[in-house]
Amino acid sequence: MALEGEAAGIAAIGAGLAVGLTGIGAGMGEKDVGAAAVGAMTEDRSIFGTAMIFMVIPETIVIFGLVIAIIILFAL
Amino acid sequence: MFRRNRGKGNYAYTVARVKAKKSLLLKEEDYEKMLMMTVPEISRYISEAGYSKEMADLAGRLSGLNLLEHATYLNMAKVFGSILLSATGELYEMVSAYLDKWDVWNLKVILRGKSYGLDADGLREDLVPAGKLSAESLEKLIAFDSDDDILANFGKMAHVNFPQEILAAYKASGNLGVIEDFLEKIHYERLIHSIDLSSRPSHLFHDYIREEVDMKNFETILKLKAEGIHGEQVMKYLIHGGRGIDDRMLAVLANAEDINSMASEAAQLKFGEEIKGALETNDVREAVLSLRKYEREKAKKFSRLYPLSVIPVIDYMINKEYEVRNIRVIARGMESGMDRDIIKGLLVI
Repeated sequence: MALEGEAAGIAAIGAGLAVGLTGIGAGMGEKDVGAAAVGAMTEDRSIFGTAMIFMVIPETIVIFGLVIAIIILFAL
Repeated sequence: MFRRNRGKGNYAYTVARVKAKKSLLLKEEDYEKMLMMTVPEISRYISEAGYSKEMADLAGRLSGLNLLEHATYLNMAKVFGSILLSATGELYEMVSAYLDKWDVWNLKVILRGKSYGLDADGLREDLVPAGKLSAESLEKLIAFDSDDDILANFGKMAHVNFPQEILAAYKASGNLGVIEDFLEKIHYERLIHSIDLSSRPSHLFHDYIREEVDMKNFETILKLKAEGIHGEQVMKYLIHGGRGIDDRMLAVLANAEDINSMASEAAQLKFGEEIKGALETNDVREAVLSLRKYEREKAKKFSRLYPLSVIPVIDYMINKEYEVRNIRVIARGMESGMDRDIIKGLLVI
């Protein structure tokens, strides 16, 4: 059953918030992880792979947000 | 909420850098190996452990123990300088204030060296240009002949006003200790007052430095007691503003009959347990070594509890300082043919 009118608009705002807020959250998390990763790599370049994995971990939050947004937009 | 505060400091970046550097410091097994080596072998060994650039740079001018001693201090100064360069905001301020102690150290080296008739090269070997004064400023100080000129120019460079009575006491007795004690006191008092207590990391740093003052005072009392100096005479040398030892306790410790009778008061202190054995046996050297080991452990513990603060940086600097000290102790000990067990006892591991 597709949402119509005002409900569709509110659902779209909800989807936008889900992606936007998780994006900001991930960014805040990545700020410190990224700084630490670059700092550690300055001393030892061999840890690039490990540092990259740590960098990516906060990004998973955005994926959760994206999934919620897709559910709101297409499954409701 | 999302305002990026440039004044706060880049803790994550700097702490990650020092943690990576800390993993490269020499371990106990390295010292064990070095205890079986001669000075040239030690030089080669430390070249492979991160001192290669300084060893290569100085190899043309110096050799043997001189090369090793100069290279280790130069390396330490460079490492501390690079940490300071990578820090920003309040972290920079705190690291910079902590590194000021090397200005005091350098002035002490220059004054003491000149009083023993050491030449400029001899002085440079023991300098650590890690404080606010650059290598050029230190060169200027070395170039002066009289102590008056050195003190006057150091005062201008480091913004220190030597009180007239201190200068008069120095001139009358010729004892450099008066100047050294004044500088040491002024360094810690400035450091404690310079810390802005508006944030959690600066609070931690404040507590940490005040505990360091406690240890410094306790060490001074121990050393003076061993020389048979008590009471008011001891109080002159002590620094106010410690965390666990207030002025009343300082007076009680200063007036204690001997080292043994300090034990009951010392038991109330945080490091009481560590030095208990040494105090009971009246062993000053052992007590001082125990204090240093406690200092290292404390820094390690603090840095784990508060990873995004200035403490991991200070922890690294303390460890680096002890690494350089240990290398020099081993090299000097082996050069003079000291027993390996005695040298090992002098190391802070």
